[in-house]
Amino acid sequence: MAAEGVGGRLQRYRAAPWWPAAATLVIAELGRGAALLVPITFSDPNGVDPFLARLSVASLLIAMPSLFVPRLQAARPILLALASVATTYTLLSAGPQILFDLFGSRSGSFDAQIFWSSVAQALGTLLIAFAAWRTVAPEWRPSLRMRHLGLGGLAAGVIGSAVLIGLGLALPAGVLGRVALQPVALGRDFPLLGPANALQAFSQEVQFRGLLLGALERTMSPRWANVCQAAVFGLAHLAISYGGPEAPFVPITFLVGLAFGWLVRRTNSLWPAVIIHAVADIALQFGIVQGLYGF
Amino acid sequence: MASDRRRRALTAVAAVWIGTGALLIASAPAQAADAWWTPVALTGTAITQVSAIGDTIMVRTGKGAMLLSTDGGRTFATAPADATFPPISIVTAGSQRWEIDSAGRVLHAASTAGSSDSVIDPGSPDLGPGADLIAAPAALPGVVVAASTNGTVWRRGQDGDWKQALLLLPASLVQGVPRITSITAFTEPLSEAIYVSTDGYAVLISTDGGDDWIRAGPGLPDSVSSLSADAGRRAVYAATSDGLFEHVLQVLPAPPAYQDAALVWRWIGIGAVTLVASVLVLLALVRLLPRRLEA
Repeated sequence: MAAEGVGGRLQRYRAAPWWPAAATLVIAELGRGAALLVPITFSDPNGVDPFLARLSVASLLIAMPSLFVPRLQAARPILLALASVATTYTLLSAGPQILFDLFGSRSGSFDAQIFWSSVAQALGTLLIAFAAWRTVAPEWRPSLRMRHLGLGGLAAGVIGSAVLIGLGLALPAGVLGRVALQPVALGRDFPLLGPANALQAFSQEVQFRGLLLGALERTMSPRWANVCQAAVFGLAHLAISYGGPEAPFVPITFLVGLAFGWLVRRTNSLWPAVIIHAVADIALQFGIVQGLYGF
Repeated sequence: MASDRRRRALTAVAAVWIGTGALLIASAPAQAADAWWTPVALTGTAITQVSAIGDTIMVRTGKGAMLLSTDGGRTFATAPADATFPPISIVTAGSQRWEIDSAGRVLHAASTAGSSDSVIDPGSPDLGPGADLIAAPAALPGVVVAASTNGTVWRRGQDGDWKQALLLLPASLVQGVPRITSITAFTEPLSEAIYVSTDGYAVLISTDGGDDWIRAGPGLPDSVSSLSADAGRRAVYAATSDGLFEHVLQVLPAPPAYQDAALVWRWIGIGAVTLVASVLVLLALVRLLPRRLEA
């Protein structure tokens, strides 16, 4: 074994069925990470590119060739999943600005702009999921698990939501910033931001536990597939919040990703995770008082 | 052959060095924001009350001692025996006077000439006997924020409509809800901010008349007993469990805005990094993924 060189080991790994998926994930994340982080050395990415357009462009530049280059066929479902995460996030975060630029004061309130941006994010996600479904060979095609929600799945969603809110209340208020409710803002914002948060949660579940987990588990063991999607879920949150006050919470998002992936596999349905994720996002939206420097 | 390869490698290294150097030279140094709260005096001493007018600052310590500073807080001496704090249940902003009476009702006088024309403000809540926390920012005529004895913060909109504005949440499952200890705002039209102090969540501020709040305590201990806004020095003073702190009026933190040339160069750099990272990913995938695939 010791005499086996790196080249020999590489040859052996490349014959393993999990290799294309694992290599794709690692290399694509390294490249996206470079596109995201290297500009910090000479620029102020938060000020220049607050909507992470660079991440979306990199994801598209990497994913598009996989549709045409036969050698990249095995990478296609994973690259499409990663592209769905980045591009639709940019769509969501830049949406209000785009709507205002297009329609001016007719674009509605900021809440309405966020709602329509969330609709666009969900539609964009479904469009990429459809593209993955149509362009990926059946043996590589991700299982989205969107067809059914049994009584057990519904119960899991409700109980999971209650557990998550209980945990949020058990943690010291200062850690999360859940120091107060703002009744005026709640009454004003909930009709549009409540559904917007639910749509965002739906989009993320389709991206991570639908497309990505579904693609990875075609070639990996369920456990490793879940670990990998949770790692990308954590890294995605780091991409949004690196350098910010919420960066220490990224490890928590990895654990949450693991739990959601386990739940989706256990119930064979995406919907329990969608329910819990939506409740968590709504609770974060309305139970957290923002700080001076963000979350 | 070997020298040709070496020449190419040296050219590539030189190009990378020159490019990185140019980008670093073109980038502007980041500027740190001013501290939001800074300690003024009496560090290590618990202070329960503060009142500031110009260079005169009076505080009461946790042990009951009254201290007076006439040099903006640089030095403190024992206050004269007849020194008293101004009442906090009365606030005058412009020609408007607002007061909480002993029964906990909000009285309004459209003129500051005398107290005889004070009337109960229509629609104002019953704050409870003993309630005495009230503020009215002169920059938002008609807006009033007051706290009831049960800890609810109410706000009066410019249209005269009273609504619940802030409900503090428990600090944890075993700790209770922190108390609202003080409310203040500038009685000259310097700022629209309203400051609420608590004995567990430091300071919260609202800049839209009490509808939305943010945590604004960076630099402060969690326990803040009293606030005093001094228009003369454009500062808010906080009496805390660890001395006296000061916040000088400043704009809320926001991303920097770059001028045309700086923005263009930053975008060119970010675009170049994105392109290079994407190409490298594709090359690595093409090179590493196996030609023959097996599901």
